[in-house]
Amino acid sequence: MAAVKETVAAVAELEKYQHGFVTDIAQDFAPKGLNADIVRFISAKKDEPEWMLAWRLEAFERWLALEEPDWAKVNYPKIDYQDSYYYAAPSQKAGPMSLDEVDPDILETYKKLGIPLREQEVLAGVQGAPRYAVDAVFDSVSVVTTFKKELAAVGVIFCPISEAIREHPELVKKYLGSVVPVSDNYFACLNSAVFSDGSFVYIPPGVRCPMELSTYFRINAKDSGQFERTLIIADKGSYCSYLEGCTAPMRDENQLHAAVVELVILEDAEIKYSTVQNWYPGDPETGKGGIYNFVTKRADCREDRAKVSWTQVETGSAITWKYPSCILRGEGSSGEFYSIAVTNGHQQADTGTKMIHLGANTKSRIISKGISAGKSSNTYRGLVSAHPKAVGSRNFTQCDSLLIGKDCAAHTVPYIEARNGLSVFEHEATTTRLSDDQLFYCQQRGLDTESAVALLVNGFVRDVLQTLPMEFAVEAQKLVAISLEGSVG
Amino acid sequence: MSLATAIATGDLTQLPSRRDEDWRWTDLRGLIRAIPPASGLLEPTPGGPFAGLGGEEIVFGNGRSDGRAGALFTAEGGAPLRLRFCSDARGARHASTMVINAPGGERLTLLESYEGQGDYLADVELHIEIEAGAHVTRVVLVEEPAESILVSTAHVRLQPGASFHQVVLTSGGRRQRIETRVTQAQGGAEVRMDGVYILRDQRHADLTTVVTHGGRDGTTSQLTKGVVRDQARGVFQGRIVVEKGADGTEARMGHHALILSDKAEVDAKPELLIFADDVQCAHGNTIGALDEAAIFYARQRGMPEDVARAMLTEAFVGEVVDRIEHEGARDVARAWVSAQLGASE
Repeated sequence: MAAVKETVAAVAELEKYQHGFVTDIAQDFAPKGLNADIVRFISAKKDEPEWMLAWRLEAFERWLALEEPDWAKVNYPKIDYQDSYYYAAPSQKAGPMSLDEVDPDILETYKKLGIPLREQEVLAGVQGAPRYAVDAVFDSVSVVTTFKKELAAVGVIFCPISEAIREHPELVKKYLGSVVPVSDNYFACLNSAVFSDGSFVYIPPGVRCPMELSTYFRINAKDSGQFERTLIIADKGSYCSYLEGCTAPMRDENQLHAAVVELVILEDAEIKYSTVQNWYPGDPETGKGGIYNFVTKRADCREDRAKVSWTQVETGSAITWKYPSCILRGEGSSGEFYSIAVTNGHQQADTGTKMIHLGANTKSRIISKGISAGKSSNTYRGLVSAHPKAVGSRNFTQCDSLLIGKDCAAHTVPYIEARNGLSVFEHEATTTRLSDDQLFYCQQRGLDTESAVALLVNGFVRDVLQTLPMEFAVEAQKLVAISLEGSVG
Repeated sequence: MSLATAIATGDLTQLPSRRDEDWRWTDLRGLIRAIPPASGLLEPTPGGPFAGLGGEEIVFGNGRSDGRAGALFTAEGGAPLRLRFCSDARGARHASTMVINAPGGERLTLLESYEGQGDYLADVELHIEIEAGAHVTRVVLVEEPAESILVSTAHVRLQPGASFHQVVLTSGGRRQRIETRVTQAQGGAEVRMDGVYILRDQRHADLTTVVTHGGRDGTTSQLTKGVVRDQARGVFQGRIVVEKGADGTEARMGHHALILSDKAEVDAKPELLIFADDVQCAHGNTIGALDEAAIFYARQRGMPEDVARAMLTEAFVGEVVDRIEHEGARDVARAWVSAQLGASE
């Protein structure tokens, strides 16, 4: 019953959004609004080469010609793209800094968030405890990246993408935009024009990354958007596990987060990408405020036997529009997608995945668990497609939805496109509320209602929680427990 | 936006295209370059696939009904109604509408057939009202020529205590959509909707269903099976909507398809849109080839491979045919399945 106790304790502890504080520090802003000069301003701030600026400007031109998509099952007032800051950064001197030079307020912020930025803090734990390197992105800039030296010793490059553009232009030029093309969609195109920072990872051939890599995104500034860009390249035979977390202050205005994540996986390589998304979801009673999370994530298994695994725990954001995808190009490559999406209050989530089978004998697996509570709406939207050449490919999809309360909604919208006769596609989905029989059984055994619900919800999402790295699994379990609030009695 | 509006107005932009979410796999705007002239008169010959099953017959020849103004039919006395949509036209179009009422307590067996030759554009719209306590069985057999374009849409409304069982069997056409939209506005009704598509050459068939549960305690059960070969394309779209307050709804949807060639295609979208919490909803979807282990087993027992494949395919589809309650219609359906599978060997 330890898990139950832990969950109940977590509920009590997490009854309110805990990461909603604001850090009051001096910040530099670009002028409000979006035009070609802002794009030039961001590029200049980042000290970027000419080719990068040209790339951004081309993206901006294309974005002007695109229309905002409206097919997702989410409703929100029209966004005024001119009423936002596209660049906000803590005032600081230029160039890389040591940790001692970082604004103490920022360090304090990460301390409050529980993110270890000092390497010795990570090491100070129990012997044998897993270590992880952190790239901390604060509004539009990366403020610190830990363990860079140790990673460099085995050839792993882990740095802010702005640094990679300057230091490793050959890699960035080769891979940036090769998985998510500039004009892939409205939000990806916007990101290509104004992205400010994010993480860059390169794992050289045959290297197994010695520690978990992670990026922690924090939106702090008012009226600003965050547009980060992450690019991870796993060269032949390499492996890395990457974690991503995010939080934002509680504000009455909506803030935009439009990120792009590109993963390139070469022969026999593997990337495991985990996200615990906990952006401010807005006021649970009124629905006011919260982050609009419009994210494009895609992995390209470019060569044979490449493997990618996406795991996401989506608990935050007022609106989530996110479909981490796998392009299974290499023969025998495989993609996995494990998702827990929890919506409560007035949250709206339209999330799922795409598995594009292009190569022979490619395999994919989708496990999606959606939990809707309060007045929220939770949609699973997924595409599985097989090209005529993808003979011997195989997909298994399971998406289950759990409804807690009378005013929430859960939708399942899968698309299956099979274009050859030698592949197998299996899909199953269920939508139900917590079983009365199971609740009764638990209560009969002496559990109170709240503990019984906690136990059942934990069981419902267990398949996905098990795929998360240890530290994230604990955090994710606590976050999922929030959904229980208001569902009992 | 629909084929009927495009025919009525001559406006091609009224045709649904692949940019319309519900028509993404059945593009009409990309296919139809001009609205053709109206079809000529047609006197259909007596017969049709259900001719031997008795009952009353209503025939539409190139969209015109046989003298019944407004084409309104009210079920009485439990005899089957044979509804025939016959077409024979080249480069022409026609449209027809029919309203069917099943008063409280009545039982109606609707045996509907689509027969034709030529290359035409046909639109059929049916409105079926089923009152409390009434039961309607609808068996639809679509045997259209390879060059025809057909959109058939049935709007079915059920009152509490009513039931509706439907089976659609089709061999497709150049582009074909058989759509059924069922509404249980107050719930409490029982719906079963099954389908079979067996497609070959370059034929296309789209079986689309939308079931809306507006009230409590309604049930829906769906099973669709498809077999596609050559360069054919099968489409299944099933949507179950459970509105707020429609607690106690039970809905199950299954779609399973066999792809028997390298160039055939099956697209499926089984959707659940749920706004109530006390529900049991599920869907399952599988697409693949025949089980090689089963074929091996049959061959091991001395059965030639082609016979084994035919037998397994027929058994696969047979599960749906067995659910047809009307014995005569079931026999017709079974013979049609055998003929289709035989023809495609």
